[in-house]
Amino acid sequence: MSLYLFQILNGVGLGMIYFLISVGLTIIFGLLNFVNFAHGAYYLIGSYLCFTVVALTGNFWLALAIAPIAVAILALITERILIKRAYHLPHTYHILITLGIALIIQELTISIWGPIGKSVAVPEALQGVFQMGNFFYPKYRLFVILFSAVIAFALWLLLERTRFGALVRAGSEDTETVSLLGTHIHKLFSITFALGVGLAGLAGVLAAPIRGVHPFVGVEVLGIAFVVVVIGGMGSFTGALVGGLIVGLVQSLMTTIWPQGASLMIYGAMAFVILLRPYGLFGRA
Amino acid sequence: MKKIMLRNVLISAVLSATSSLTLAADGITIYGVKSVSGAFASYGKYADMGSKLAVEDYGDLLGQSVHYETIDTEGNAGKAVRKVQEAISQDNARFFDGATLSSTALAIGKEVNKVNGVFITPAGADELTGSDCNMSTFRWSVPTYGAIRQTVKPLIDKFPEKKRWYTITPQYVFGEALLNNAKAVFAEEGIEHVGNSYHSLKEQEFSGYLTNAMAAQPDVLLLLNFGSQSSNALRQAVNFGLKNQMTILVAWSSGLDQLQELGPDIAEGVYFGAQYWHTVDTPMNKALVKRVKEVYGMNPNYPLAADYISTTVILDAIAKAGTTDSAAVAKALEGATYEGPTGSEVIRKADHQVLKDYYLLEGKPAADMADQDDYVNIISSGKSFPDESALTCKRS
Repeated sequence: MSLYLFQILNGVGLGMIYFLISVGLTIIFGLLNFVNFAHGAYYLIGSYLCFTVVALTGNFWLALAIAPIAVAILALITERILIKRAYHLPHTYHILITLGIALIIQELTISIWGPIGKSVAVPEALQGVFQMGNFFYPKYRLFVILFSAVIAFALWLLLERTRFGALVRAGSEDTETVSLLGTHIHKLFSITFALGVGLAGLAGVLAAPIRGVHPFVGVEVLGIAFVVVVIGGMGSFTGALVGGLIVGLVQSLMTTIWPQGASLMIYGAMAFVILLRPYGLFGRA
Repeated sequence: MKKIMLRNVLISAVLSATSSLTLAADGITIYGVKSVSGAFASYGKYADMGSKLAVEDYGDLLGQSVHYETIDTEGNAGKAVRKVQEAISQDNARFFDGATLSSTALAIGKEVNKVNGVFITPAGADELTGSDCNMSTFRWSVPTYGAIRQTVKPLIDKFPEKKRWYTITPQYVFGEALLNNAKAVFAEEGIEHVGNSYHSLKEQEFSGYLTNAMAAQPDVLLLLNFGSQSSNALRQAVNFGLKNQMTILVAWSSGLDQLQELGPDIAEGVYFGAQYWHTVDTPMNKALVKRVKEVYGMNPNYPLAADYISTTVILDAIAKAGTTDSAAVAKALEGATYEGPTGSEVIRKADHQVLKDYYLLEGKPAADMADQDDYVNIISSGKSFPDESALTCKRS
């Protein structure tokens, strides 16, 4: 297998993780018109909950089941207490409030788990690698690709083929009309916010065995999520998937073509897309 | 009413400024330049604990109380310089230690030198005691030259059949220095350097670079990054099964805190270079371990030990000089010999480099660990520094 083909496989794996990180952000923005700068912090909670559950029970699968739901519940509580009061305010308030939440979560994480990062072991069933010529690909990363693909399909079904999805899409077009037609719009907002943030928690769990857990990872994750969303288009599910794959592929291929510029070229790709399509590949004015 | 309030505020501000000046004049203050927030906080917080403890342990000096002030660099050289400039101009600060990143240490060293202050750092770039050396800057840690000599060379001796080495390097001053020193050792020892991947200072995803390494089919993978980057690079290398395919050496680990993060499953069989390890059998280290366990309930790690000894060395030099005149204190530091955590340590006058041991460690299996911090065996240790005749440090 050639180096470039392997980097493409690697890029797809990365891209699916980036999709999971960013899809929640884009869903929340699409319906709620709310900019969530605490998205990376919720990812952080997901990863630390994963670490805690694995440390206590040794069961990664339990962490995969529990942590995203716990993060979604936490998001629901935050939304009810604080976030919903800011929906009608300008975006600057959204940024201030969610940055504050992110800082609180980060400092609480340090208080509870300490400043040193932690490692989460790959589940036993997925330890080991597949050999492809001179290259090795971790079974766990392949699992992440397949699992993320299943999540992407399930999300697509939820948003495109269910009444809930129809309401979310309608709500993103015209909140007032949906409300006038008898839908409890605030409940819809709450569920969507919890869903989006729960997906960040899920990404935190899935990435923990690859990246470890670290109290300062939230900022890095938020940066990647925004790049993906800007490339794909704010509020677009398809955009998050395509954007995630583009970022993953660019980053992976550039590590061979121009290694020192691999991170930079992610932003280069974003700038290129903005120049061609200011609202992103699937975004609308 | 408004005028009265404004007057009161102004009076309070003047009184507050006056009292802080009085406090500064009343004691000796050591300023710890630490990354207690930001991406390198896991290092800075322990460094800060080390300096605080050293000041607490020292007691009074020259009949004055000793104080400690933290300057949070936030892991950013620009912010660090601005805060150090403020401390110098507003608080008359002269004694500094710390700085996690080489870029920060280089910039701070220049600022402190403008006022003939004293700055001891654990940062790694050779320039600190090399081409960018100055009268004020001292360095406790072994620079990149010694770190590479005391890790790459012993590993080549241990595995003479492993001739193909691949490097992964962060592209900034510290990484370049490690790489250049590694290349020099490769050339001397007849090692084939089969490739290098540079990465940015922000990178945390290493699968692409590891793929480049796999393609080159090396016998040894040499990681030249630091902190969370080397942890993630190693973690991902183990995920990719590279530990079974090649020997892995992390030339500049941060020691215990990094091994606590990685855990024995990842560290087992991996080689680490380290400035300090808590089981080193020296009188001062035994005392330090006992004291840190008493106060913090943990074993000292590298940042804590490095900044504890750096702070203590400055205070000792003030005592030796018999004055708080920073230029005299800098003079007192030159050539000083003392018992440090790694044994007898000397501050070389020619370049202000502390001559001390560097360690090569090998990760143990979890089953062989005697206690929760017993992650490694010390494979070798020793001092490697360029001869004085070869130094690039030229001070007037």
